[in-house]
Amino acid sequence: MTDRSVSWTDPESVARLLARATAPRRVTATLARVASVARSVRAPAAARPSVPPARVSVPAPPPAAVAEPPASLPVTPARTAVPKLVQLSENPSDRLDTLMAWTLDNQHCTGAFVADDNGLTLAAHGISEAHVSLVGPLLSALVGVRSIPGIDATAGALWLGNNMMSWVEARTERGSFCLGAVGAEALSTEALNQLKEALEVTVRDL
Amino acid sequence: MIDTKLLDLAVQDLRSVLRDGLIATDIWDRTDGLSLAGFNAQPVAVALFTRITTELESSMADSNFPPLARYYLIDLAGNHTAAVINHGSLLQGMLVDNKRANLGILISVAIPRMLDAVAKAR
Repeated sequence: MTDRSVSWTDPESVARLLARATAPRRVTATLARVASVARSVRAPAAARPSVPPARVSVPAPPPAAVAEPPASLPVTPARTAVPKLVQLSENPSDRLDTLMAWTLDNQHCTGAFVADDNGLTLAAHGISEAHVSLVGPLLSALVGVRSIPGIDATAGALWLGNNMMSWVEARTERGSFCLGAVGAEALSTEALNQLKEALEVTVRDL
Repeated sequence: MIDTKLLDLAVQDLRSVLRDGLIATDIWDRTDGLSLAGFNAQPVAVALFTRITTELESSMADSNFPPLARYYLIDLAGNHTAAVINHGSLLQGMLVDNKRANLGILISVAIPRMLDAVAKAR
């Protein structure tokens, strides 16, 4: 098993899912519109030919003129609710692809993966197979931790050196599966709960 | 009595799980080498893996090793893996493209599903 691609998926599915994952979000679109309004406010000053260019940028427009969007623009909430993952397919590969797309789209991460309890990759995007394989020894090491009464240890975060890997685990009759997300910071408890619920929905009847 | 329709469904399910990572598969009776279901059937591979499995099991028994359990894997040149699943009186061979199918999918999803499906076909 050398030289394997850890991110292999069906090409059509990848294209479709990546399009979803990288689609411009509503907040971004709104900000772009606000920026466009701000540019139009600044534009008359910049267009005056008699004013030297150096002075154009000095007098900043009144803050209220830039900060206040027109009344017609919708007010976007600062944080949108994360939709629950819905799995419509019975096919394991489709379910894993859907989970990958949902994770990349809704969580603050640059890469994501699903691995079994031996650290073998089931699906991955934006992370090397070497990093995914650390799930095996990680879960083995947690066996001792879980022997302590009251310690669940089915979620956590691990500093990889350059990134933080946040992970959750779901157990089935066929073993454990781990969903990991790699990003600059560890995910919040709320985000980990969302990941765990999504993973459990995905690996159910896998 | 084996329900070959269920075996065919199991092979279809395997193809959907491994997608184009699955190059070929056969399910056959190890006593007569008769293939009961498959995809891109390989009669030579059926004969080869019947012989290899028989030799492997007898060698392990002679060495007082534990018997063969669910499967064994062979890493082949050219980024291919041969997986042989032990269904008891039936054997199943799979040729997998390593670049198109993840090992985790093969071991944690595809093989357990095939074991369940073939058990139900009996």
